[in-house]
Formats: sequence, C-alpha cells, structure tokens
Amino acid sequence: MQRITRPLRKPTRVLAPIVLLLLAWTAVTGLRLVDPIVLPAPWNVARAVGGMVRERILTDVALTVARVLGALVIAAAVGIPAGLLLGYRRRWYTMFEGPLHALRSIPASALFPLFLIVVGVGESSILALAAYPSLLVILVNTVTGAMLANKRRLYQAKLFELNAYETVTEILFYEALPNIFDGIRTAASYSMVLVIAVEMFVGLDEHGLGRAIYEYQATYRIPQVYAAVIIAGTIGILINLVVNTVQNRMLRWLPNVHE
Amino acid sequence: MLIGSSTQPARTPGTATGEHALRMRSVDFSYCSAPDRSKALYSGFELAIAQGSVVALMGTSGCGKSTLAKMMARIIGPTAGRIEWSPQFSKRADVVYMDQHPMNSIFPWQTVRRNLEYPLEKLEWSEPETRARVGYLASLFRLDGVMDALPAQISGGELQRLALARCLSWRPGLVILDEPFSALDRDVKTNIIMALHELATKDGMTVVLITHNVSDALAIGMRYVVIGDRPVRVLSDLEFKSPHPRVRGTLDYDRMEKALVACIREGLV
Repeated sequence: MQRITRPLRKPTRVLAPIVLLLLAWTAVTGLRLVDPIVLPAPWNVARAVGGMVRERILTDVALTVARVLGALVIAAAVGIPAGLLLGYRRRWYTMFEGPLHALRSIPASALFPLFLIVVGVGESSILALAAYPSLLVILVNTVTGAMLANKRRLYQAKLFELNAYETVTEILFYEALPNIFDGIRTAASYSMVLVIAVEMFVGLDEHGLGRAIYEYQATYRIPQVYAAVIIAGTIGILINLVVNTVQNRMLRWLPNVHE
Repeated sequence: MLIGSSTQPARTPGTATGEHALRMRSVDFSYCSAPDRSKALYSGFELAIAQGSVVALMGTSGCGKSTLAKMMARIIGPTAGRIEWSPQFSKRADVVYMDQHPMNSIFPWQTVRRNLEYPLEKLEWSEPETRARVGYLASLFRLDGVMDALPAQISGGELQRLALARCLSWRPGLVILDEPFSALDRDVKTNIIMALHELATKDGMTVVLITHNVSDALAIGMRYVVIGDRPVRVLSDLEFKSPHPRVRGTLDYDRMEKALVACIREGLV
C-alpha cells in the first residue's frame, strides 16, 4: 500500500476525526435513527448557514469575536503587569493571595447581577464580565511564572544593579512568559464561554452569536441552532490557533520548544 | 578606582603584589540553624587569594567547594567571621560567579550577540567599546558563526563558551568558576581553557576555579588549594609555576598531579 506522503500526513490526521464524525452523523440521520427535529441532517444544517448569512449572522460573529478579544486584551493588559509586580514583590503577593483565591472560587456567572449593578447595562458590562475571570487566571499564572523564575539568572539583576523596572521587564517577564501563555490560553476559553453566556441570558442587547443561538432555539429553528453552535466551536479553535502562533513566535528561544 | 569600568586600563598581574583579591577571616558556615559547632561545615576557616592569581580550589564532591564559592561571590553570607574583598571591587559586577549550567549564566531569550552586549550596556560601556569587545570575545571564543543564533540553537560547547565569554566580558576583578568544564569533551575544554588563560592574563583578573578534575586544574592554575575534612580546612596549598601550555608527561606535571591526587584522597570525609 502506498504511504501517504509526509506533508499530507498532518492535515490528514487533523481532518480524519472530523470526516468520521460527519460520516457517523450522516449515517444516523440517513437511517432515521434519531428524530430529525432533535438532530437534523448535516446537509440541512449546511443549507441553514446560507439563510443565516443572508440574515445577520456575520455581524453577530464579528461582534462576539470582538468582545472575546477585547476582554482578553483587557485581562492581559491588567493581569500581566499586576502578576509580574506581585511575583517580584513576594510580600505583596502573600498579602493578596487569600482574597485572590477567594475571588477565584466564586463562579463568574454568579457575579452577573452584581456587575450589572456596578458597571451598568451595556457593552462595558459584557466586556467587564468576560474580562474579570480571564484577568484572575492570567494574573495567577503570571505570578506563578515569576515565582518559578531561574534564581541564578535573577542573580544577574543584582550583579548589574538593575532597578525594579529593568528587573521586571528585562528578566522576570521572559522567565514568566511560558506560564503567561498558559494563562492566556485558559483565559481565551473563559472569555468565549462568558461572552456567549452573557449574550444568551443576560439580554444586554439583541446582538452577538449567543443571542442568535438563543433566538434560533426559541423559534425552533433547530438546524440553525446546530449551525451556530458549530460556528462558535470553530471560533474557539481559531482563537486558540492564533494564541498558539503568537506563543510559538514569542517562545522560539525556549530550549524544549526547539527540540 | 573603578575596576571593570571600561575607561580603566586592564590590571596587570604582579603590580598589586601583596594585595588580596579576597581574604576570609575565621569564617563559620552551617546549613543547620542550630549553632552546633560539631555539625558546622566551616568553622574558623581562613584563606587569602592574591590579586591576579589563578587559583584552583579542589576537593572531593560534597566537600563544600560550592558553598565556599558562593560565599566568595557574595551569594551567601558566612554565619560568622568576615570576608574582605579588595576595595577595588566597588561594583557588584566586579565579583562574578558562574556555575556548571551555562543556561543559568546567560539569557536564553537573547541572541548570542545580545547576550554579549547586554552586560556591557548595563554597565554603561560606550557603543564603540562594546562593539570592539564583543567582536574580540566572539573570535577568542569562536562564536563568530553563531552570533545571530539563539542559545537553544547552538551546541553544548558553544553554549559553554558563550556563558564564559559573557561572564568575562566586562573584565570583572574576581571570577569564580564553579565546575565550568564538567560537561565538555577534551578538545572543547582545551580551547576554552586557553581562551580563559589569555583573558585572565591580559585583563589581570583573579580567577578561582572550582573543580574536582585534576587535569583541568593543572591546565590553568598557578596555585592549588585542596580542601576537605569536616569542618572544612585547607589540606594543602601548592604552587605550580610551570609555563603554559602545560604538557602531561613532563616530570613537573606528573609530580604535581600525584601530589594533588594524594591530597584530595586524604580529604575524603
């Protein structure tokens, strides 16, 4: 048997499970094993996408992606510097450690009503709700990374008499970077989950992918519900891919990434 | 006088006769907190190192060499007693310590070139001086071909040469090298030792080489301090003034080797 040529092997490995899933889906619906109301055929779902595009799904997708990325940027912009600072000044971290973990153990969804009162109803409260748990995750990962920094390399900060700013930006940041990316990856999925959930249930406005899923379900347009869910999954995969690409680029120097 | 600053001429060995780079006076050190003198690693330890000398500090593994090295490098302080450094070492960077893992002494996120430039920049060398020094070090340590590579992309030997070149780049007054050649094969080692010898002589650096390898020590040292026992004491303190490069098989060399091996054995705890 001819072996698949090398450059084709990876895409094949990635696509194979998806193709298998589609085949199983086709078989189940084709043989009418499940009620088509509960699980519509794949071609019906595909056909639904055309109608959704003609309606307003692209605007919804763009809005949701913008909200997820916005929340992520806010979380990183606050979480990384704060985490580096707490990792550098251990005493401050011991002070904040308790409250931080207490906050982390409150489910973000339980805070919806509070956020609506404090931040108000609107775009900013969607961003704040999604950014908040992401920020905590990035912060805690950054602190961990900074604390795991190589002590012998930090010795050079003393050797060259670096000030706090130089120590943090020129050594500690790089030392913490692998953990920072772990945090960003987790935060990306948190943001996605929260943005969709807020759009669905909090009803802050009438747009976004979450809202679309909710409305399709409410009007019993089941193929559209499936299509929207698949789109949401694809967005998640694409965001993860972007984070991975940035990570590989910024961590090119890590010895184990290379081997 | 600021040593290590680029505007100063390099120290020449011999001009500072009688001056010490370092002097340890009745130093105590213990890893346990209880002041139990019988458990102390160091108790009343005395050692002086003359400026511009190359000292091999030897002993079996686990005898306390690295602890001594870290005290010399101001990384840890003695429990009691005093360590005096030459008043010429006014900056922190005048005393530098390098351990056996080269990745610890460099920044893996910087290219080889940046790794060599960074310390000089931080110590406020001028741009032309930095460029000249980096070029000189690159050719001395044979790093010309990998200047734009990342440390993760170069070989183990190149990495070790980079770490050493970086530690010596700003002409520190006292360099403490803790088993720096342990992971290297013979040829690479010979090259590095020659480069180290050249720099130490030229810049008048004081070098303390911590090793348990007799042939590494014989390749570079002028003075051999063997430590051992508990609490640690100096078992023997020898001089070997044979010119470089030294060849194995000569009468002097063999006699020295035999003496050192015997001393180190005696120090087995």
